[in-house]
Amino acid sequence: MTPPKRILCQVLAVLFVLSPKANAGGEDPKPTPENTISVKLAEAVPAQKFAKPPKFWITDVTDRSGNPQPMLVMKARGGIFLDRQPTAVLREALEQSLKAAELLATDATTADLAVRVYIFKFGLAEGSQLDFFGKVEFTAVVKNPQTGESVEVKATGTSIVKGAVRKKNLQANVQEDIEEALKDGVRNFLRGQQLKDAVTALQKTSEQAPAGVQPQSH
Amino acid sequence: MRFLSGIVLTVIFAAGSTTPAKEKEGPPQFKTAEAKHFAQAEGVELSPAFSDYFYAELRAELKKAKMAEDVIGEGEAVDDADAPKSLVIVGTITEYKKGSVVKSALIGLGAGWQSLKMDADVQRRGDKQNLCTIHVHTKIDPRWDEKLMAKMAAQQLVKHMKEELKSQPK
Repeated sequence: MTPPKRILCQVLAVLFVLSPKANAGGEDPKPTPENTISVKLAEAVPAQKFAKPPKFWITDVTDRSGNPQPMLVMKARGGIFLDRQPTAVLREALEQSLKAAELLATDATTADLAVRVYIFKFGLAEGSQLDFFGKVEFTAVVKNPQTGESVEVKATGTSIVKGAVRKKNLQANVQEDIEEALKDGVRNFLRGQQLKDAVTALQKTSEQAPAGVQPQSH
Repeated sequence: MRFLSGIVLTVIFAAGSTTPAKEKEGPPQFKTAEAKHFAQAEGVELSPAFSDYFYAELRAELKKAKMAEDVIGEGEAVDDADAPKSLVIVGTITEYKKGSVVKSALIGLGAGWQSLKMDADVQRRGDKQNLCTIHVHTKIDPRWDEKLMAKMAAQQLVKHMKEELKSQPK
């Protein structure tokens, strides 16, 4: 390479580094169709068998993760976004699985147990640099509307998938990881001993309650 | 030349087809396996995220090892009929040494490395009988992320577990 050409290359390299686009990594990524993933359960998670199968109704799903951008799953590499709020994704997953197991009430008034869900983690957690660590953590407050009693049920879903270099693979792996963690979390809730104990306890109190007790509106 | 390469390829394919196939794995030895979050002994200073990550890694390794039909989450209910053929893994992280970057750089040969020791009990779910106890000791460079140590520890644990439980009836 001749000296003038070398100088030209160096100048171009400096200009590229100083250009605003090159520094775009420092800015917050924006959601676009290319960097947005859709997370949902591929199939309903089978629920456990109850002695007296109750009908559940999910009253509300609240995000308590404290994450200011709950739809931003990954900030690096131009960002990866969810297409919906984690609350909507989890609600859909729970309802889908409860419906498949015939445990979902048609409306709030016909439900035996009302469930209020609080999400504490949804998305990627801090893992090793080599892979993606997906985590879905939530607490469900299962309430008997007749007696007003409630029991807390915790559930956690985790998943680890290998990392990726190419953006396309990266997005696919992140999506797979979060979907697996979501499935695991829903399964942990629906098949958990905690839910079994909660349902047994709430059904017992319902049977013990005097006949005159009026259902409370919540 | 083309003829020669054709012969070489044929020989390679023939050799590939005559080599004994990888020993076929039968059905998994156990119905379910449940890993619990490991407790930390007094004096062990690891981040809370480490415990979660190790739990996730252990479950991932158990799935890979195909020892059980189903690797269930912590606290999930198991059918009574499956309980005698199910495992529960409980354990304690007994020691963690942060290591020293200076020692590692000056002395080398593994000096100053991060070190993690843990004991795990593999129990049968049905009667809580201890099937085996596994001791794991992992050491890595102090500059590496502690989560890598979790990954290595989970791999070691499952590998030892698989060896120890080989003698158990299916």
